[in-house]
Amino acid sequence: MNRGAASLAQKAGFQTDEKALIRAAQEGDQDAFGQLVRAYDQSVLRLAMNLLRSPEDAQDVYQEAFLRVYRNLNHFRFDCSFHTWLYRIVTNLCLDQMRKRKVRKEESSQMEGSEGPVDRMDTFQESRPEGDPQRSMFIGQLRERIQKAMAELTARERMVFELRHYQGLKLRNIGEILGTTEEAAKNCLFRATQKMRVALGDFV
Amino acid sequence: MNTCEKVRMQLGLLLYGELSFDEEETVDAHLESCAECRAALERERELHAAFDAQEIEPPASVLWESRQNLQRQIAAEHSPSPRVSWWDQFLDARWLRSAGALALLSIGFFGARMFPSLGLGITGMSMVDPGAQRVRSVEPGPNGGIQIVLDETRQRVVSGGLDDQNIRVLLLSAAKDPSDPGLRYETVGILNDRAQAAEVRDTLIYALEHDENAGVRLKAMDGLRPFVKQPEVRKALSGVLLSDGNPGMRTQAIDLLTQGVGESTNPALGRDIIGTLQELMNRENNAYVRQRGERVLQLVNASQETY
Repeated sequence: MNRGAASLAQKAGFQTDEKALIRAAQEGDQDAFGQLVRAYDQSVLRLAMNLLRSPEDAQDVYQEAFLRVYRNLNHFRFDCSFHTWLYRIVTNLCLDQMRKRKVRKEESSQMEGSEGPVDRMDTFQESRPEGDPQRSMFIGQLRERIQKAMAELTARERMVFELRHYQGLKLRNIGEILGTTEEAAKNCLFRATQKMRVALGDFV
Repeated sequence: MNTCEKVRMQLGLLLYGELSFDEEETVDAHLESCAECRAALERERELHAAFDAQEIEPPASVLWESRQNLQRQIAAEHSPSPRVSWWDQFLDARWLRSAGALALLSIGFFGARMFPSLGLGITGMSMVDPGAQRVRSVEPGPNGGIQIVLDETRQRVVSGGLDDQNIRVLLLSAAKDPSDPGLRYETVGILNDRAQAAEVRDTLIYALEHDENAGVRLKAMDGLRPFVKQPEVRKALSGVLLSDGNPGMRTQAIDLLTQGVGESTNPALGRDIIGTLQELMNRENNAYVRQRGERVLQLVNASQETY
């Protein structure tokens, strides 16, 4: 069996297992529900943390999303994949949170430093202290510019970019999650990358 | 719009693998003959690489905490009756509840594995015996029989307070168990309430300096917070500042080592700490940590770096 076929078989096997897990969880099997959570919760937390740039808000989204899954799992009828259903819940919660922030004009991850605003989430990016101050200064400035450019995107543009670039989802799947067409998701991604390219200017 | 403009608009989608077969054919054919568009594709790749570097991976401790909270909330929803259990009434203090729970649920395994003779000395012990066994070796025995050597691991539940020396010995060992960061995290959290004991403090310092999990290290640092004036704790925190790979840890270490600096009751900052901070400035590349270090050095009128 070639790699592609093996991967397809593996995926098919996982989907069968997942269906069995969902059915068991629907019948009240707590262990099965726990396995479903562990299969997806790291991606969910990463998505929320990257979008909201606040560990506390990301944890709130995590809790609320999985509690909603827990409460409504009996209504899940396999009309779409479990992943799509879960991500619909998560993306809606994140979009709500992002829109609320826009209204409040709140930028929760920014703190005032001696050289201007500093992103509190920098502390979650693993990096060892080392030499070459010029390189580290460049990386810091680039990071700041990208974060500023991302903050200028609309909530939907930010979401589509996050799902495509960082979560690696296909535009068709993103459209399904966000309740829109593949074409609309593609346009949204295009606008997002154009805006960021302009904002970064000759930096990259 | 000429061909170059059309192609450049599609480069992002090309890298994401989101063009149709025909679109990709057209773009590829153009790229073969157009050096400027190939250069534009390279720039697009660099842009994507710059985006990649922005991704944040949630720390294990945040994931762990989220799972714990979810489990608690689901257990609360699942509970048929809201009445307070005898367990909650009896073990009112939070730390004692956690200690008891951990002792009941987790430590039994260690009790059997590491201290097989300990059980007799532990009061209030009950036995749960699922009888885990492993065949070590098999040999033909006399008269056609078979001799099997079994390794047996028995689970045993032990309970007791943190003042119980046996419980404490088990906890000190569990805090160093390399196989389970979740267990280490919980155990260090419980030990934090007894950090006034030198042996507990030593274990917390060990976790701070050597644990591979940042969540466990952070938890150990919390427990050492009240003892920051002690030389061995200061030494460990200075080590964190200069060599811990997690910027969150380095930030916390700065805060602990420089507690109260800049306030009206301004305590003097030791030369050793100033030296450590200056050394940090020479090597730190995280903007937030640098900013915290710089602020402290400014407050004590020290130069930013050593030369």
